[in-house]
Amino acid sequence: MSELAAAVRRSPAAQSAFRVLVVDDDPDMATLLKRTIEKEGMAADTVYDGDAALVRAMSSPPDLIVLDVMLPGMSGFDICERLKGDEVTALIPIILVTSLEDSQSRVRGIEAGADDFLSKPVKVEELMARVKTLRRLHETRRELEARRLSAEVQRKEAIRRAFSRYISPRLAERIISDLREDGLPFDHHAQRISVVALFADLRGFTRLTETIEVDKVVAMLNEYFAVITEAAYRNDGTIFSMAGDCLLVGFNVPFPQADAAQRAWRTAEDMIAGFAPVLAGWTQGGGMPTGVGIGIAAGEAIIGNVGSPHHMSYTIIGDAVNTAARLMQMARAGELLVSGSVYDSIRALVPAGAAVSRGNVALRGKTEPTPVYSIELARPRTR
Amino acid sequence: MDADTVIKVVVDKDLEDLIPVFMGNRHKELETLRAALAAADFEQLRQLGHRMRGVGNSYGFERISVFGKQVEDGARSGDRAGIEATIAEYREYLARVQVCYE
Repeated sequence: MSELAAAVRRSPAAQSAFRVLVVDDDPDMATLLKRTIEKEGMAADTVYDGDAALVRAMSSPPDLIVLDVMLPGMSGFDICERLKGDEVTALIPIILVTSLEDSQSRVRGIEAGADDFLSKPVKVEELMARVKTLRRLHETRRELEARRLSAEVQRKEAIRRAFSRYISPRLAERIISDLREDGLPFDHHAQRISVVALFADLRGFTRLTETIEVDKVVAMLNEYFAVITEAAYRNDGTIFSMAGDCLLVGFNVPFPQADAAQRAWRTAEDMIAGFAPVLAGWTQGGGMPTGVGIGIAAGEAIIGNVGSPHHMSYTIIGDAVNTAARLMQMARAGELLVSGSVYDSIRALVPAGAAVSRGNVALRGKTEPTPVYSIELARPRTR
Repeated sequence: MDADTVIKVVVDKDLEDLIPVFMGNRHKELETLRAALAAADFEQLRQLGHRMRGVGNSYGFERISVFGKQVEDGARSGDRAGIEATIAEYREYLARVQVCYE
């Protein structure tokens, strides 16, 4: 009785999930190998030529391949090379079955990327020892990979949680999907694109903070920012900075938005409307003359990651940002000031009679006057 | 080899269902060997010998592996007479072999 045949009698180990592909042009040999492997509790499939082996391995990658060298058409070496050169199948261990005395074949097999060798006639102990060893290695590698992926998921989740407090969920996703191997999240080159910039500010609030208790100031700012960041996210704006009581939101960035100006307009509306009940609450509890002032401008801007390896921020710089900032500074509480090009884009959305031209305004830092429109969205609440 | 001698080969009982196909393939193989020799196709003879060498021992038929090696070596050296003699021996072997299972 052959050793291989004797092995068929042995009881199976609990190895059902491990899948072996046997490639041998001799059906008797392929059948025997398949049965031996199955008797050890693993699953085995057989194919009889190189083309079928490639198709099977790539369409349904097995955990291990036992590959005869001498095959009709493509040789085992060619198949081995092809599989090891494809990222889908490169990590599948391959045992090349060669003649015992054929050292040249082994050298050629090593060059082709084979993981191990088996000599014909096949000795079952040798076959199963090699299969089991490669299985252990394969499973260890899979476990390590699973751990690495798990750690990677946890790391990205931590980054997502941290980022999502400051930037839009969409930008957080974008940054996480672009995370580099070295873990640095910012890898984009600066780019110049057309944007719509919105600045919002709690008018007069800085002056008021001098007379309000510190804890109360923080609580009020949190209420205020909860409303206006929600308005920005609702309209898929990207929050670039939050400083004091001022918020900068960009549209058409980092993803194209054909209706960027309209989104900015709706954001301004939502900010003012959402802030109204907050302001009413402040007024009842000892209110103050304040309200949200907003500036919106469109134009080119440079988008990039600015800072040092210790601290970086996704930043927007350019004329549109400067103009929006100037407009915001001019805006009264409850007022939205927009540049002429933005007004042209949102004109149809603005209620009749709500917009008033302020004419061409010389804004600080700009050589040409800017056409400015004022839209009254809410009146400031005072005690 | 005595013409009346039965050649017993012991094969694992678990392989019993595979043996009829295995033996059928050996008889086909014998015919293929004859045809290849008649055509002086030494490359095919070499490949057939190589396969016999691999599969024979693996199933417990050591003689088939020996015949295979002889065919493979004979094909490499172009030893037509030697291969012819081996094929004749192989035919005799197949005629007399008796498989026992245990």
